[in-house]
Amino acid sequence: MLHDGSSLKLSALRVAALTRHNLLLRRRDPASLITYMIMPVILMWLTRPLLTRLMPGGGTAQDVTGPLVFSSTLALQIVGMSLLSERTWRTWDMLRATPATAAELLIGKAVPVLAVLLLQQAVVIGYGVGVAGLGVAGPYLLLLAVLVWSVTLLAAGSLLATLVRSHTQLAVLTDIGAIVLSTLGGALLPLSMMPSIAQHVAPASPGYWAISMLKAAIRGDATGTLAPAAILGAIAVAAGATACLRLRQGLARLRS
Amino acid sequence: MLEARGLVKRYGQVTALDGFTLSVAPGEITGLVGHNGAGKTTFARIVAGLAAPDAGHVTIAGLAPRRAARLIGMAPQEISLYPAVTVRESLRLSGGLNGQLRKQLTAAIGEVTDALCLGGFLHQRIATLSGGQQRRAQAALALLHRPPLVLLDEPTAGVDPPTRRALLAALRERAADGAAIVYTTHYLPELADLQATLALARGGRVIARGTAQQLLSGLPGQVTVDLGDEVLQVAATDTAAALAQLLTTISKPLRGVSVTEPSLDDLYQALASAA
Repeated sequence: MLHDGSSLKLSALRVAALTRHNLLLRRRDPASLITYMIMPVILMWLTRPLLTRLMPGGGTAQDVTGPLVFSSTLALQIVGMSLLSERTWRTWDMLRATPATAAELLIGKAVPVLAVLLLQQAVVIGYGVGVAGLGVAGPYLLLLAVLVWSVTLLAAGSLLATLVRSHTQLAVLTDIGAIVLSTLGGALLPLSMMPSIAQHVAPASPGYWAISMLKAAIRGDATGTLAPAAILGAIAVAAGATACLRLRQGLARLRS
Repeated sequence: MLEARGLVKRYGQVTALDGFTLSVAPGEITGLVGHNGAGKTTFARIVAGLAAPDAGHVTIAGLAPRRAARLIGMAPQEISLYPAVTVRESLRLSGGLNGQLRKQLTAAIGEVTDALCLGGFLHQRIATLSGGQQRRAQAALALLHRPPLVLLDEPTAGVDPPTRRALLAALRERAADGAAIVYTTHYLPELADLQATLALARGGRVIARGTAQQLLSGLPGQVTVDLGDEVLQVAATDTAAALAQLLTTISKPLRGVSVTEPSLDDLYQALASAA
């Protein structure tokens, strides 16, 4: 709890120290981030001819949003790993034993990971605009959409980290989850080309709402952007709140 | 500085603490001794605010553990460091979390790394350090912000003698400066070196508390007289009197005489087996 200017300053110092430290950890292990940035670009390059032929007029948006959602869902592993590693290193309790509050610890942890997710999506969209010729009618809507999707991934990844027992479990869950959720959401193949049963089940996948939101933002459709954003926001709040509750108990004792 | 009264902590069917009571005054070094499972680590976790007791209460300078976090420096039994960062980066994080600003932090890092002979490793990543060096780095994190209460759980496990001496000297200096120190170890001579008061834990409670002299006063020492063809041994609390009495009964020439006073090991064995 913050009571006055002095404690607010101390709190800001602690968050700054944690953020700096977590950015340092990210910098020391850049392989996964680089992979998740290059992979969607290659995927876009490979699928572009097919999608522009199959979807005249809408192919480029699909070609950008599909790989973006697919690769960013895979990047859940980065989010989960950033928390799970604290358990492996036994450092979470060391952090909890300091004056840092649970909220400060989570902010310090979340900011660098959020930056990673935003950077990844900025690279994909940048490639889409610069190379694939994507036209963005609603840049601010797109910024909002990318932010909402990143926060949703952050919350979901944090929750995953509190549920799994090991790095292997996290890797398996994120790999399978990313493929299932993003495919079902229409990231790898346009929804209209999928079996009707898959089209009916698709709204159960956050990937579906992410692609709907991003496509609507690209074409400048505010209503079409905000409705899926609200659904994803609700998912983020639910996942984030559950993760926070579990994290307050201490990572070391979570299902171990 | 530290007041713990009647702490109880259960994990399912296991009772880790069962009425654990301990007070440590400013400037006092307390050696917390006990077998594995005696409750030492659980006690340290409760004091550090990492676990809540099921019963009893603990205060640090009158504050509940979570509100007293800035007053505590803790080095747990297991190495709990980030392998990918350097010693300096680890210290900077710890200092930042404890509210130390740049200039103050730089001075504190210099002081603590000098005291623990870590100056040569400041730019090395934790993963590249030996086990003993990592343990030193962990102790440095606990001491960096000069906390009034220091909790060290087996800080010298696996360290070499010069490092052990450096750490013990640093702790004596901190205690002289007014810090209360709780020092858990299985290596009892260290406690004599630290002139620590003792708290012997067993079954989740402290079964004996006092200075080494107080606790050793009731224990027998051993007088051994070597006569060449036989060796006489007598156990007595007053070894000098026992030796004098023994010598009056001997007519043969002596080959050797030795008097062994009771040690902390003897005390620990006696209390542990009696409890």
